[in-house]
Amino acid sequence: MKRVLLICALAACGKGGKAGDKGDGSAAGGPREDLLAAWKSAGLAPAGFAAAKDSPVGKDCQLGTVNSVEVLVCSFTSADEAKAAQDTGLKWVGDTTGISTPKGTLLIVAADRKKADPTGSTINKLMK
Amino acid sequence: MRRTSVLVVLALAASSVALASDEHHHFGKQVRFVGIHPIPKNEGGGICNIEGPHVHIYIANKLEYRDHSGDAYFVGDPVAYKYDGPKYAYKGPHPIHVEAVVGGDPDVEYCYLEGPHFHYFKPAPTEIDADFKVVGDAYFYVGEPPHVFIDARPAYVGINAQYRPLAYARPVVEVEAPSGWIGARAEFLTPGVIVETPGVYVEERGHGRGRGHGAVVVGGDTVFGGGIDVHIAAPPPPSIHIGVGIGVSGGVGGEVHGGGRGHGRH
Repeated sequence: MKRVLLICALAACGKGGKAGDKGDGSAAGGPREDLLAAWKSAGLAPAGFAAAKDSPVGKDCQLGTVNSVEVLVCSFTSADEAKAAQDTGLKWVGDTTGISTPKGTLLIVAADRKKADPTGSTINKLMK
Repeated sequence: MRRTSVLVVLALAASSVALASDEHHHFGKQVRFVGIHPIPKNEGGGICNIEGPHVHIYIANKLEYRDHSGDAYFVGDPVAYKYDGPKYAYKGPHPIHVEAVVGGDPDVEYCYLEGPHFHYFKPAPTEIDADFKVVGDAYFYVGEPPHVFIDARPAYVGINAQYRPLAYARPVVEVEAPSGWIGARAEFLTPGVIVETPGVYVEERGHGRGRGHGAVVVGGDTVFGGGIDVHIAAPPPPSIHIGVGIGVSGGVGGEVHGGGRGHGRH
């Protein structure tokens, strides 16, 4: 009986990796979460980051906004893979100001579709 | 009032570098940039502060930008466009090691601004001692200019005509130029040759490299019509460049040195 309870408890804790969820789509640990935390420390306001369904850029992407700029953060298994996805990221940006910048195993893709960042200051901070 | 003429900018069109390379991908109307640069007035004006590679949907003009591995890199004076960050004073034409400013492959491009002007970067550390002298808080290029620097001058010296009427705080450099300064060399004292014949430069849209079709030009006027862009530009004043003193209009001094955007990719 104890063994059954233990298994149930472990299963509940592991479900969806919600432990440490900070409520903004980020969770403790991992390069992507570290990145979002660094943006916050830099005075940016990442918001609404959640899994991006069927993203053309990568299989493991989160979509959200940073100071009203649309941002996609995709995680890859290697830095080379992240770099190889750069062009796909630019395609996702489309006809607007944007970036597709690899950072380690992550690819940061930003598109200023609402013209919220006319001088590029927010986007520049995303690349730091 | 500025007299507007219709020009065929044959010389510039023929001699300017292609800012986009087919091997570098861009999508739709995207144009690739790297480093800070002016934003066209009709896109809001001011300075784009994105230091790394990025895209916009407007094009870069051929006098103020150079191709750096497929990205348009600004070689003009950002202060003319209300840039208020760290800046460094230069006098006269000089090389720019682009990779030292924004990273990427080794790439030497050339600035042809003849009078005192600013950049947001200082010369690469490797060339400061060898090719530049600092006098009066300004960098003077005293190296031996390579042929490509001299040969390309006619294509780019028109940037001086573009900047001359701009009212902004240029650096004040009142010291005597050091020995060997490029501005005193015969190749840079002779009048710049700009072959410009009045006429119309018509660019077809929807063809070519896909760079900036339907977009705008930074500087100069652009008229759109049907499936073509008709560029109308005022002719620059007679192109007589004598090196020292040209383009030294205005000037209330400027902060130089210290805390500039550095070398290496950000």
